[in-house]
Amino acid sequence: MFNNLIFIILFMLGFYALVMKTNLIKNVIGLNIMEAAVFFWVISFSDVGGEVSIHKLGEEVTKFNDPVPQALTLTGIVIGASTAALLLTLIIELNKFSGTIDREKIEGLND
Amino acid sequence: MEVLEIILVIFLVFSALMAVRFDEELISIIFLSIFSLILTALYLLHKAADVALAEAVIGAGLNTAIFMSAISQIRHGDSD
Amino acid sequence: MEIPTETQPEVESLNKLMKKTLVSVVLAGVALALYRSFALMPGYQGLNLGLSNYIIESGLKDTGSLNLITAVLYDYRAFDSLGESTVIFGAVSGIVLILSRKMLPVSSKGLSFIVKRTLGIMTPFIALFGLYIMSHGHLTPGGGFQGGVILAAISIIFSIVYGSAFDYRRYSPQTKTALETGGALTFLGLGLAGILMEGAFLQNLGFLTAETGTLISAGSIPYINIGVGFKVGAGLAIIFYSMIQKTFEEDF
Repeated sequence: MFNNLIFIILFMLGFYALVMKTNLIKNVIGLNIMEAAVFFWVISFSDVGGEVSIHKLGEEVTKFNDPVPQALTLTGIVIGASTAALLLTLIIELNKFSGTIDREKIEGLND
Repeated sequence: MEVLEIILVIFLVFSALMAVRFDEELISIIFLSIFSLILTALYLLHKAADVALAEAVIGAGLNTAIFMSAISQIRHGDSD
Repeated sequence: MEIPTETQPEVESLNKLMKKTLVSVVLAGVALALYRSFALMPGYQGLNLGLSNYIIESGLKDTGSLNLITAVLYDYRAFDSLGESTVIFGAVSGIVLILSRKMLPVSSKGLSFIVKRTLGIMTPFIALFGLYIMSHGHLTPGGGFQGGVILAAISIIFSIVYGSAFDYRRYSPQTKTALETGGALTFLGLGLAGILMEGAFLQNLGFLTAETGTLISAGSIPYINIGVGFKVGAGLAIIFYSMIQKTFEEDF
């Protein structure tokens, strides 16, 4: 319940930055916040009150947290970093030709 | 819901709000780094150690360096 | 001719206000929809049925890896990790293709003497920590991805503290490319060995299994970890190296 509310707030903040801000770097920051909101929701939703899902030698742990959503989240974090780097590279290259990163001031895309 | 988690979540939303609100890119990137750091602590509280390590290394470390290197070579030349 | 110049800002601000209102309405609608659909959602049931239950029950027995997340990443879903490495390779290729220039990479002269000496002492320990996280992925939290990014952080530290010419001399792009290719080939080679010896691509190699809890155990998982670590680390170091500013300078 509480975590759902946090997810909605963070996701809407990121969405706002993506739609309303005209600065392209702020758009990438908004994308990052949306990503982090989804990951945080997955992790907190799959938390069933168990232990860290690592066996201990000579000790029998009865209840673990689910390892599958954590593995998927780990994949997502690494891919998010590389896509953010690719987006920033495109912004740098765009800035070289147009001299600005405001997406409403960029000219010359049509001609 | 523990008290520590409530405090961390409040700071999480606050840092995300600041990262979106400021127009200066440098300040938003620093707040994004703080956001990742608080998220690391929250992952650790939810017993997800691997994800916490990945978020600390990638979100707070590498992402900040990449964003910094991107804004260091962007020109705001409105004159020409 | 004077009328447009006077009304232009007003029209623009009105436009902006309208856009803001519209976006706020849309955001509120989406938030309400998300809230209502969350209310319909049942609680978490993954532990009681199907895959997660099986992995928790018999993950240690199947793979010999204490860390169940590593078991999922490099044994049950190793093909997924291979796809992830391919995504990183695609990102590296795109960035290098867009930003490649034939210039000497000199971004700065570096920071002060104290910072340089301190990091000179600390760097071996950072490398040791990265290698530890990589090779102990099946025993403790961590694994190839995290350790690899820690190794990439060394390259970033070199670029920031000593200036990127130092990074260029120590770990030239050719070295990084060789490391990335070597890591990917290790991963693929272990996958093909799985076909030859066990009958399926990326199947855990049974003859490498040793006593649970030791460093060389868990079949081929530690080797895949090290390969993925070098691949991810070198790839992200190449990304950062390509993104720093490059200028012509002679005092290299």
